[in-house]
Amino acid sequence: MFIKSLRSLFAMLVIPLVLSMGLGLSASAMAADEQSSQQQAGKTSDADLWRAVKSGESGYTVAKGVETGVLINVVGNEGEIVRNQYLTPVMGITVVGVFAAFLFFYLVNGPSKLSKGFSGKMVLRWTKADLWIHWVMATSCLALIFTGLNIMLGKHVLQPYIGEGLWASLIYGSKTIHDWVGPIFIVSWLLSVVKWMPMQTFKMYDLKWFLVVGGYVNFGPFKGKHPDSGFANAGEKLWFWSLTLFGLFIAASGLMLVLPGLDLPREASMAALLIHSISAVIIIAFTIVHIWMATVLSEGGMECMVSGYCDENWAIQHHNVWYDEMKDSNSIVYKN
Amino acid sequence: MAVMKFLCDTKRCIECNGCVTACKNENASAIGWGIQRRRVVTLHDGEPGEASISVACMHCTDAPCMAVCPADCFYRTEDGIVLHNKETCIGCGYCFYACPFGAPQFPKKSAFGSRGKMDKCTFCAGGPEPDFSEAERKLYGANRIAEGKLPMCAELCATKALLAGDAGVVSDIYRERTAARGAPGTIWGYTPTTG
Amino acid sequence: MRLTRKTDQAAVSNKAVLGLNRRQFLKSASLATGGIAAASMLGAGMMRKAEAKDIPHDTPTETKRTICSHCSVGCGIYAEVQNGVWTGQEPAFDHPFNAGGHCAKGAALREHGHGEKRLKYPMKLEGGKWKRLSWDQAIEEVGQQALDIRKESGPDSIFFMGSAKFSNEQAYMYRKFAAMWGTNNVDHSARICHSTTVAGVANTWGYGAQTNSFNDIRNAKAMMFIGSNPCEAHPVAMQHILEGKERGAKIIVVDPRFTRTAAKSDEFVHIRPGTDIPFIYGLLWHIFENGWEDQTFIDQRVYGMERIREEVKKYPPAEVANIVGASEEQMYRVAKLLAETKPGTIVWCMGGTQHHVGNANTRAYCILQLALGNMGVSGGGTNIFRGHDNVQGATDFGLLFDTLPGYYGLKTGSWKHWCNVWDLDYEWVKSRFDQEPRLGQDPMTSTGIPCSRWHDGVLEDKSKIAQKDNIHMAFFWGQSVNTETRGREVREALNKMKTVVVVDPFPTMAGVMHERTDGVYLLPAATQFETYGSVSASNRSLQWRSQVIEPLFESKPDHVIMYKLAKKWGFEKEFCKHIQVNGDEPLIEDMTREYNKGMWTIGYTGQSPERLKMHQENWGTFDIQSLEAPGGPAKGETYGLPWPCWGTPEMKHPGTQILYRTGREVKYGGGNFRARYGVEHNGNNILAEGSYSKGSEIKDGYPEFTDKMLKQLGWWDDLTAEEKVAAEGKNWKTDISGGIQRVAIDHGCIPYGNAKARCIVWNFPDDIPLHREPLYTPRRDLVAKYPTYEDRMVARLPTLYKTIQDQDFSKGFPLIITTGRLVEYEGGGEETRSNPWLAELQQEMFIEINPADAADRGIRDGDDVFVHSPEGAKITVKAMVIPRVVPGECFMPYHFAGVFEGKSLEKNYPEGTVPYVIGEAANTVMTYGYDVVTQMQETKVSLCQVSKA
Repeated sequence: MFIKSLRSLFAMLVIPLVLSMGLGLSASAMAADEQSSQQQAGKTSDADLWRAVKSGESGYTVAKGVETGVLINVVGNEGEIVRNQYLTPVMGITVVGVFAAFLFFYLVNGPSKLSKGFSGKMVLRWTKADLWIHWVMATSCLALIFTGLNIMLGKHVLQPYIGEGLWASLIYGSKTIHDWVGPIFIVSWLLSVVKWMPMQTFKMYDLKWFLVVGGYVNFGPFKGKHPDSGFANAGEKLWFWSLTLFGLFIAASGLMLVLPGLDLPREASMAALLIHSISAVIIIAFTIVHIWMATVLSEGGMECMVSGYCDENWAIQHHNVWYDEMKDSNSIVYKN
Repeated sequence: MAVMKFLCDTKRCIECNGCVTACKNENASAIGWGIQRRRVVTLHDGEPGEASISVACMHCTDAPCMAVCPADCFYRTEDGIVLHNKETCIGCGYCFYACPFGAPQFPKKSAFGSRGKMDKCTFCAGGPEPDFSEAERKLYGANRIAEGKLPMCAELCATKALLAGDAGVVSDIYRERTAARGAPGTIWGYTPTTG
Repeated sequence: MRLTRKTDQAAVSNKAVLGLNRRQFLKSASLATGGIAAASMLGAGMMRKAEAKDIPHDTPTETKRTICSHCSVGCGIYAEVQNGVWTGQEPAFDHPFNAGGHCAKGAALREHGHGEKRLKYPMKLEGGKWKRLSWDQAIEEVGQQALDIRKESGPDSIFFMGSAKFSNEQAYMYRKFAAMWGTNNVDHSARICHSTTVAGVANTWGYGAQTNSFNDIRNAKAMMFIGSNPCEAHPVAMQHILEGKERGAKIIVVDPRFTRTAAKSDEFVHIRPGTDIPFIYGLLWHIFENGWEDQTFIDQRVYGMERIREEVKKYPPAEVANIVGASEEQMYRVAKLLAETKPGTIVWCMGGTQHHVGNANTRAYCILQLALGNMGVSGGGTNIFRGHDNVQGATDFGLLFDTLPGYYGLKTGSWKHWCNVWDLDYEWVKSRFDQEPRLGQDPMTSTGIPCSRWHDGVLEDKSKIAQKDNIHMAFFWGQSVNTETRGREVREALNKMKTVVVVDPFPTMAGVMHERTDGVYLLPAATQFETYGSVSASNRSLQWRSQVIEPLFESKPDHVIMYKLAKKWGFEKEFCKHIQVNGDEPLIEDMTREYNKGMWTIGYTGQSPERLKMHQENWGTFDIQSLEAPGGPAKGETYGLPWPCWGTPEMKHPGTQILYRTGREVKYGGGNFRARYGVEHNGNNILAEGSYSKGSEIKDGYPEFTDKMLKQLGWWDDLTAEEKVAAEGKNWKTDISGGIQRVAIDHGCIPYGNAKARCIVWNFPDDIPLHREPLYTPRRDLVAKYPTYEDRMVARLPTLYKTIQDQDFSKGFPLIITTGRLVEYEGGGEETRSNPWLAELQQEMFIEINPADAADRGIRDGDDVFVHSPEGAKITVKAMVIPRVVPGECFMPYHFAGVFEGKSLEKNYPEGTVPYVIGEAANTVMTYGYDVVTQMQETKVSLCQVSKA
């Protein structure tokens, strides 16, 4: 019965994802299959036996280990198909696509300049602790992304072109780094969520921010628009909440994968693997966007995470509500 | 070209576990306590309809382990045997999640990180190292195929339930048996279509 | 497809030769992950270094033909040896019994070549510590203590427990060894295996052995397994059984449990444990009612069926349903199937034999086959599957408290026959025994103390036992005492004895379950792979087993240890009078030749070492269907010359695959039921009427052959002059020239005469099988109608029946408990639980309990539970909640030991010898109850209570 409930758990976790991705696996079909296998239990014909085998029914065995009584692990193969046929290409497309889209946007649109130029007066935006959290998380995240990408895509894009020995060390290194950096990421992620959450609540003006695409578009009707935004703009808030949510998914599923001592059923492990990959796709996409935005698309943006201070004009242009609040409360801290 | 397959005749399998210890015996150099490359599962244990099936790596033509392996450590021999390279294996466990038959196993019961080098049935065909080399024996065990013999588990099967060998030959034997028993020619509930 | 060698091995060998070592486990740490495995991985540090040798792959390989030592099927094996190390095991596809197949135990056989948990050298327990001894010192001490006890208490105070793991030669020598020590207190596990079969079946038709063969089961059209589970106990037999099934045979399984074999059956009949006789009578009721019996067969070849017919009337379907639990419809269906589907065979094992009415059970099975006329035909017979690899041989060689080799009995005439064979003075042999009658029994000619009750021989008041004194010292030579019931008494007896000697490859329970601090000796014996000799499979075939490796560590083959002790005791000259001795090792072939000269009763005379070795070399020439060689050097012979293989080896008798087969000439293995009980009973002729084996010149029944009979028949002059000298005054059993047998067979007659099988065994307490409720029965309502015996003296020991049955335990102990086998383990289990490849598969002792009973007790699958015995013992085991057993019945495997009533005995083992798996012994909670004829213990039905731990 434990196994059955796990099957349902898997169905609950994966099927919505699968369905949302347009796959034709129907939850009802699975449930029906399960019911019929229950009805068949105890009957004696060959067909019933094979139905039980194929539905992954558990039997008796003297072998020790995880689910050794199950002859056919039904979801394992399905999960493998989801991963290989959908998630792997999606990941590839995401990485290349998002990067290319922003490159194209940058080439067409150019960066978002400070309309009043640099003021030279630097306003405190991030504390030292914030910087630490950010950069630890950024570094670990990038390490995870690169190693993770190698684990997911390496055998398609790298392995055919390099020697066997190099590949073996590369993939082994990726796996090892991915395992050990993961906990660092989780800690920094947790700190950032706790520390930054108060600044990330959505406000009404965030809606307008979206309507004008944050004011980054330098042509058409959006040109020159500078929507209201608080300490974090709506895009950043979206990024924050995505990272919070999918960070949770990726951290939990990652722990499931990196702790073999848990002896999880294979359904759970496969579910974790798929959730991990899906979360990774989303986080990687945002990360690319984030890096583009912070480095080249937003003039003066990078400085915030280098020194913790931003140019006053940058603050006024991109985070006017925050700047105004600080000014009103007289709490602006300038760099000496 | 031969395509090697296992087939377990449930009408004959009696869960004597001879195949399990035959494998341990023949591959003792590579597998210790805790790894059983083959196991026997009994469904409906102790009630009418009870049936036992010996299962190990089925050397799938379209092997999910091979497809899911991030290290691409699996390869298929010209006999259709799915083998893997323990030097490349990173112990991620994906093959274990994906394998329909629960074939991949890991020697270490580690709490964190890698599960160690995956081990599974080799169809008694060793691994990528030179045939009969010490490295091959230590990592993968026997290489009976290179000696012109079939896997030990099937060769020692008490009731000839477990068959191993070229898919065509194996399914012919099985078909003859089922024909003799007057049962429809099905293998594991499927009608065999691929080799 | 043909597999072709793809790699040129020679090419590989040209490369730097790497040390290849299949014994990788010694170095490998990965082995030590199991609990006990981790604790005791590092042995005593004096492993023979052959283990660690690196054996390159291309080292020349010697292939030895050996026989699996785990069960009586007798599977052949090719053992590959390189540099003296057992490096490989290959399937013997050409072997006529197993065609390469093996169960878990056979497939793990090569582990015997590792034996890292073995006893490494002689040891003694001194001040609570195990101390290493030299062989000389060990023999000196053990031998001297025996002599001291002999002086004080007489020879019967030493108990010689033997083993079914001996080769035939060793079994023969062990019996001789005990005889020359001067006692009949010698026995082995056949007592608790098939002793009731041997007694019951031999008293029905002559020989108490499997009448047909495993291979012949292929020819059966119906098979009934009663108290037999070959899927677990004789897995390779299933090869033949399933082949038979695929040819259309119907399988009926009669058992309290829905066994693996039941899963392969067409009809499964559940019977309550201990109701075999009412079940058989229930079938006979339908058979007689419908006239399905084979009346011609009965008229010609069966005596006393009318008595049975009368008795069966007391078992109408409703009564049978009430006692047995099987429905009336099912009983009718099974009876009809057996009557209409012939030939049919009956197979039974411990489920039938291990009862206090075991002998009657086995007779009942025989009676059913007689009524159906299924005897003496291919596909029929009673295929009694023996247990250990050589339990048949050890039984044949009289490793028993009541016979000499060849079932010669203990009468003076039998002793004289064997003295004649040994070329010893009868008076000398007699002088070795206690000369005083004890409780009216003469020690030399009366039955000794059985294997099942040696502890009673230790503990019972000595005035009540029929020998001079209690047992004060015992040799546990290849037998594990956890196979005996009443574990607490076993332990108490071990504590009480002056000296305990274990001679075994492993320390076994006698060495570790006591609470002694002194006086225990462990002598390491070699396994059968470290010596050679012949072994008798269940089907009576003898197989020659080659030595695979040299004895491991300091172990020595059993016959060497016997010789050393004989030397200490001063009778080595008599012991090996006609056996060449090299150093301390008597020559095995000479032992074979010696017993060939004496085993006339059961035809162990034609199997010379040369013939057996020829069969061994020509496995492949025997046909797996018929077991006969259509050509080649053994042309016309049956594989292994199954006994009776009449006459001298020079007569070239082909062996008898199917006993009592009248359709064949005796010289080709035919025969008829044996004339063993005279020619008449109560004025009725008991010789066969109008039935005789093909080609017999006497076309009717005839008594057994004697010198006088040859003279009466006018065949005396067919003997040669020398034969006449040897035959004068002798009979077919005692003429050591073999002349009488030769002449009888020349005339188409079988030496033992031609009689009817008898349904009435007038020399037994129950002359026909009667149902008697088990001593511990939950059906108190049936006790009055089917009571057990009055308490009585059996052999040398007072034996309780009524005293026990009169107590009602059914309230506090409502569950029936029965015990049995697991495929991975064997016997007491020391050997198999010390084999990591097997031990890994069954790591916990358990009890099977029905979900309903479990639910009543709040027990879930995998819980720890207590099993309480009505005699007070309590063990802790895992619950396996499974519908295999019906509500009200439980099952436990009996191979576990090493934990006693919740306490681990691990610390009692010498360092490095704790098996990989230990557990509670089922027999700790199994209770009193012994067969009234053979002292078989009752392990198949008792009562218990199960509670959550």
